[in-house]
Amino acid sequence: MICGIDLGSRQVKIVLMHSGQLQKMISYETIEFYRQYGRQESNQLVLCFANLPLGTWDKVVATGYGRNTVHVKGADNIPEIRAHVLGAIWQTKLSDFTLLDLGGQDAKVVQVRQGKIQDFLTNDRCAASTGRYLENMANVLAISPTELGQYSDNPVDLNATCAIFGESELIGKVLEGHPLSRLAAGVNYTIFKRIRPMLNQLHSEVIIFTGGVALNTALQAIIARELNVKVLVPPFPQYNGAIGCCVYGGGDLCG
Amino acid sequence: MGKIGLTTTIPVEVILAAGRTPVDLNNILISSTNPGEKVEAAEVAGYPRNVCGWIKGLYTVANELEDLEGVIAVTQGDCSNTHALMETLELAGIQTIPFAYPYDRDRDLLKLQIEKLMAYFGVSWKQVNEIKQELDRIRRKVLQIDRLTWEMGLVSGFENHLFQVSCSDFEGDWVKFERKVDRFLEELSERPSSAGLIRLGYIGVPPIVLDLYDYLETIGARVVFNEVQRQFVMPHLAEDLVEQYLLYTYPYNIFGRLKDIEEQIRLRRLAGIIHYTQSFCFRQIEDLIVRKTLELPILSLEGDKPSRLDARSRLRIDAFIDILR
Repeated sequence: MICGIDLGSRQVKIVLMHSGQLQKMISYETIEFYRQYGRQESNQLVLCFANLPLGTWDKVVATGYGRNTVHVKGADNIPEIRAHVLGAIWQTKLSDFTLLDLGGQDAKVVQVRQGKIQDFLTNDRCAASTGRYLENMANVLAISPTELGQYSDNPVDLNATCAIFGESELIGKVLEGHPLSRLAAGVNYTIFKRIRPMLNQLHSEVIIFTGGVALNTALQAIIARELNVKVLVPPFPQYNGAIGCCVYGGGDLCG
Repeated sequence: MGKIGLTTTIPVEVILAAGRTPVDLNNILISSTNPGEKVEAAEVAGYPRNVCGWIKGLYTVANELEDLEGVIAVTQGDCSNTHALMETLELAGIQTIPFAYPYDRDRDLLKLQIEKLMAYFGVSWKQVNEIKQELDRIRRKVLQIDRLTWEMGLVSGFENHLFQVSCSDFEGDWVKFERKVDRFLEELSERPSSAGLIRLGYIGVPPIVLDLYDYLETIGARVVFNEVQRQFVMPHLAEDLVEQYLLYTYPYNIFGRLKDIEEQIRLRRLAGIIHYTQSFCFRQIEDLIVRKTLELPILSLEGDKPSRLDARSRLRIDAFIDILR
């Protein structure tokens, strides 16, 4: 049994895999998780899994934002880009694609050819194209992120480059009286505008879309429509990194 | 004799010929005990948040430096923010002396700029050329350190960076600096060579993040080519001073820099390039030219304020080294 952990900025995702079968998938809110399972040891946060209700495993492989600063006891650490690519290949069985991962705080675009990473780009020092931004904007519109993710037609034009100023711009649009569907579509389009240069640079006919933002169906449609590409969302987009960790640890092997 | 502050590399021979002490303000900033505070002090004075950290740090350093006679501000060929830096320093009562590298590498214009500087300091070509002879001897030794970095694996990426970057002002005292270089070269003769590290090139302005080189070495990679820092040493030593500063690539257009970079990629057998840019710097635009021109993996890295590498940059560096493996 292999345990894969993706220490994300908003959620910690844990997957158990055995003989190529997913056994269990569980996620925790990040801060809550560190509070419950972490403890301070010589100026470092150490994660101890003894109390986790997950059963037993032979090996732990960790990735994600937190792995640089948090010591996961007994785990192998692998870079996030590699974990996500392994997860995407395992989930889709494809080997030529561009992976788009939009998570809680960051955006990654990775070009994969014959199962190997060719190049990658990530957003830098700005959260304006990420899940956190969508959550904030949904909040401004007083709807859920799920509802926000349903509108892609006839978007209002939003220009602010900053996630925070974007909120005030959106409020301005609300006051102008635009319908909710157009406002929400406008928000989804701002994400697309942010990631478009990265997707153009690392172009593929097929985009594998992962991370929590992949659940935004409007964004899936916008990407497919605007770039004339096929957008594939694997069965477990949010667990993709943790699945990749299991694959790295040999959890996909039989026996 | 007073100190003359520099905002970047200029024909330092002129200042030394005039018996003044050149002080590269960038080096003072980054080696100070708390460079972050100096950036913040400039923000408190009214510098905007979205302006390059180096410029803000330079402003505070120049204001704090004792015996500062004046600042040579490079107004063309480096950074246009320097114009406003110069004006705010003047407002603070600091004498500023503009120097411009001609964008089109025009020999006559560069000569005129150097001669204007010489006239300001009241020195002759004979005096300047005498100093150049002395400095060229030291430059050759620092170029030897560079060679021992990429050819022999005896020097760490950071050491290479540090010696090269010090050639903008020779640490204010070239006699002392030469002794330091000699001692280091001697030390190297007893050092074992490091093998098996992934060979990286670092291009762009020197980093404002302090631990980049060390971090790379902890994950099995070493910078064996520091592009701009190497230019500060004047790798194409020419007899004629004007010629030397024409061959210096950094202040002119990016295509000249790329030619030099491409040569060094081949010579030093580099596996990948880190292109560092400063937040809010016009050179961030040039990243697209770099990516289109160079045919090897490139990681674009951005730094804002003086600090250690943040988790996000480390994550990107890890992934980059991972794909080079």
